[in-house]
Amino acid sequence: MQILKVENISKVYGSRKSSNHYTALKNISFEVNQGDFIGVMGSSGSGKTTLLNILGSLDKPTGGRFIMNGNDVGAMNRNQLAKHRMENIGFIFQDYNLLETMTLKENIILPLALRGKDIAAIEAKVSALADNLGIQHVIDKYPYEVSGGEQQRAAACRALVNDPKVILADEPTGNLDSKSGKDLLKLLTHINTQYGATILMVTHDVFAASYCRKILFIRDGEIYNELYGGSDRKQFFDSIINVMSMLGGGEG
Amino acid sequence: MNLFSLAVRNIRLNGKKYVMYLFSMGFSVFTVYTFLALMRNEIVMNAFQYDTRYQSLLSSFAVIILVFVLFFLISSNNSFIRARKKELSTYALFGMPNRRIGGLLFLETAMVGLGMLITGIGLGIFFSKLMAMILLEMTLVNFAGQISFSIDPAALYQTAGIFGIIFCLMGLSGWRVVARFELVDLFKADKVSEKKTKGSFAVLILSILLIAAGYFLAISRDPYVVVLGSIPILILVISGTYLFFWGGLPKVLGMVKRNKRLYYKGANLISVSAVSHRMRSVASVMATIAVLSAVAVTAVATGFTLYANAERNTYSNIGFDLAFKSGGGNIEEQVAAVFLENGVTVLDAAELPLYEIDAPKTPYTADGMPLLTPGNPVRVYSESEYNQLVSFAKTTMETASVAQGEGHFVFPYSPDRIEHALLGKELDMNGFEIRVTEVIRSNVPGFGMLNTLVLDDEDFTMLLQERKITPSLVDGEAVHAAVFNYEGALKNRQLNQNLDGVLTTRGLHYKTAFGLYNESMETFGLICFIGFFMSGVFIMMTASLLYFKQIMAAEEERNQYQTLRRIGLEGRTERQVIRRRLLPVFFIPLAMGILHSVFAMKTADTVVFAHMIPSANSYLHVLGFSAVMYGVYGLFYAIFYIITKAQYGRIIRS
Repeated sequence: MQILKVENISKVYGSRKSSNHYTALKNISFEVNQGDFIGVMGSSGSGKTTLLNILGSLDKPTGGRFIMNGNDVGAMNRNQLAKHRMENIGFIFQDYNLLETMTLKENIILPLALRGKDIAAIEAKVSALADNLGIQHVIDKYPYEVSGGEQQRAAACRALVNDPKVILADEPTGNLDSKSGKDLLKLLTHINTQYGATILMVTHDVFAASYCRKILFIRDGEIYNELYGGSDRKQFFDSIINVMSMLGGGEG
Repeated sequence: MNLFSLAVRNIRLNGKKYVMYLFSMGFSVFTVYTFLALMRNEIVMNAFQYDTRYQSLLSSFAVIILVFVLFFLISSNNSFIRARKKELSTYALFGMPNRRIGGLLFLETAMVGLGMLITGIGLGIFFSKLMAMILLEMTLVNFAGQISFSIDPAALYQTAGIFGIIFCLMGLSGWRVVARFELVDLFKADKVSEKKTKGSFAVLILSILLIAAGYFLAISRDPYVVVLGSIPILILVISGTYLFFWGGLPKVLGMVKRNKRLYYKGANLISVSAVSHRMRSVASVMATIAVLSAVAVTAVATGFTLYANAERNTYSNIGFDLAFKSGGGNIEEQVAAVFLENGVTVLDAAELPLYEIDAPKTPYTADGMPLLTPGNPVRVYSESEYNQLVSFAKTTMETASVAQGEGHFVFPYSPDRIEHALLGKELDMNGFEIRVTEVIRSNVPGFGMLNTLVLDDEDFTMLLQERKITPSLVDGEAVHAAVFNYEGALKNRQLNQNLDGVLTTRGLHYKTAFGLYNESMETFGLICFIGFFMSGVFIMMTASLLYFKQIMAAEEERNQYQTLRRIGLEGRTERQVIRRRLLPVFFIPLAMGILHSVFAMKTADTVVFAHMIPSANSYLHVLGFSAVMYGVYGLFYAIFYIITKAQYGRIIRS
């Protein structure tokens, strides 16, 4: 089932007429289907975060359109966008973005509470998710009391709790040590396979990308290449390295 | 870029955060200058005839304000510096030694302080005439002199000197804060979360018990309990308030959190968790606001009620425009001559012979207080003479209707316990049994005696014939009560001076409404004047600190709102969150302060009014006046709240 269809999206900063305008994205088109685990790779400044922001409806494209769940997101007003984000998208950020004033549990509940869900349903859902993602033992602690890995798992939990159509992850392993990073990637894979969640992950970490099933490479605002993973992750890893070196000065 | 231009730049950049603080600082300079200048203003000095304490009142309140301002400015300045950790750490990172950073802060403080000093004193000078006029208008019944615009150099130097010292202390204390900074801490500052208080149930209960105990003492009907208990009441309520905000309110928030049905509702989840997160850093400010609001509201409302009721109080105390005990001679003629001389029309005049009767042989007491003791004769009136006296009184007094064998007992204060002790009792007056059927509180008919008895006309005549009632004598001459009501009694200073001249020389027991009225107007007018200024300083200082804390919090919470918007917080809910986030911080202290003052005014009523206004509803009267005060206070707070909310919203949306 098609979840997201991106048609010729472009993003230009500054006025197109003025001399100092900057094109972050040029005519990007692709589709995302139910259950995909897609990685978006590219060097700094390639436009991958801009793309993610547009897909997350945090930013508006200057050209083209994208359809999510049958709705043209570009045509929505501010409040519709907020509702759209609340119902369809789950975010995982590099620096977790948990609210310091709340316990992990309250952080996870937040999207449900904002939607005005029933208490019993909230409790059951959060408890099941937290169990599954292995943060039940720290769920009543505050973010600053737990490790980065646990914070990121809580963030994943928060992204997942709403049954979003797509989860957007922006460098989710960027702030984690290698062990926690690996745990998180396993977790995302787990979410992808067990819950059938659709994940779009921006990263420049080849190891992280090797967990994806498909990778879009972006260079200077355009899709440069696509790569599909097979059953062997080691082999996928090597082919990613190859593309990265072709991209020219691909950083690790 | 030298230190000076850096300081100027910083002040400009931080202007918005400091604007309320600057405003309150300027206002306190203005207040202190105004008080000091008024103390030295010769016209004001001459105008205050009755209350020679006006200078000491002004100066002692100036000192109270200064002490408050000193602590407040130092503590707010230090929290400003802590809030600027990040900025200051950047200087340190670029190699500026702590000493120089301290110097920079000192310079900033000095420049801001100088600016506010000049502004405050400038305003003080500009409004000096207006302030003097307001003071005199409030306090003097008939001020006719001219007040000129004046600059008082001594007050100017004093104000500048005092605030100079305060600013230096602020600078030094800021310096000390900076000296203790560690560079590493500076960068961690953002990440390290504020310490939390969960509060405790025991503290919550204890705080409520302390406050309740204070209230219980405060509402006692017995003035003696209240007077003796005033210090314990203060200690109980103030400590209870601080404990409530330190440990009780966090617990209440914790209990709200446990009510999932309420707590897990979008906006509540965000705002309650944010308030409880900040509780620790604002608890002391909130408690201070509650206490100071209560003090200010009570003082001003009580002062204002006394001020507004000065005329009523005067007549309930004296009864007439002029009352004296004449002991023969030509004193009445002299008084009449004074009226004639001044061209004043006498409206009522009465002269009654005064009588007395021996007190019962066995002393009567009311709750241990001696009431009727042998050797202290009792003033006695016949019903018709009493009613004649009462008919002239300019205060509400019921005429008496006494049956044979009965008597009405009149006493100047505390009717409850007297009533309890005497009502229905048989008094053995010199062998004649009199049953007390009514106890009246009044200061009017005593004419030098504490106890007064009103008897039936026939009983009175009989006792007089039996020489059990005797005429009161001074130097062997029978004395009369002389009472007068006349035109312009409360305003005619010349007449009053002439009356003083005649009556004082004879050493007579006399009372004029003019004297008491003008004295009350001076005292209570001054108290109101001071009270308005003091409440102004209190409310501005505390509210500006609260404003600042919320603005600082907003800067730290900005990225949280960013996250919230990303997960789908829309505009309407966001405004709801902000409202629920800020409202409790502003209005819980206000509500607590108002609650305190409701009880405090009951105390003031018991101590002050119960003696002065023999009317049943004085407490409601004060409450009525204070409702206006609350309204004004609430309005100010609402303005502060709206400003804070707007600024908070602007910050988190930027």
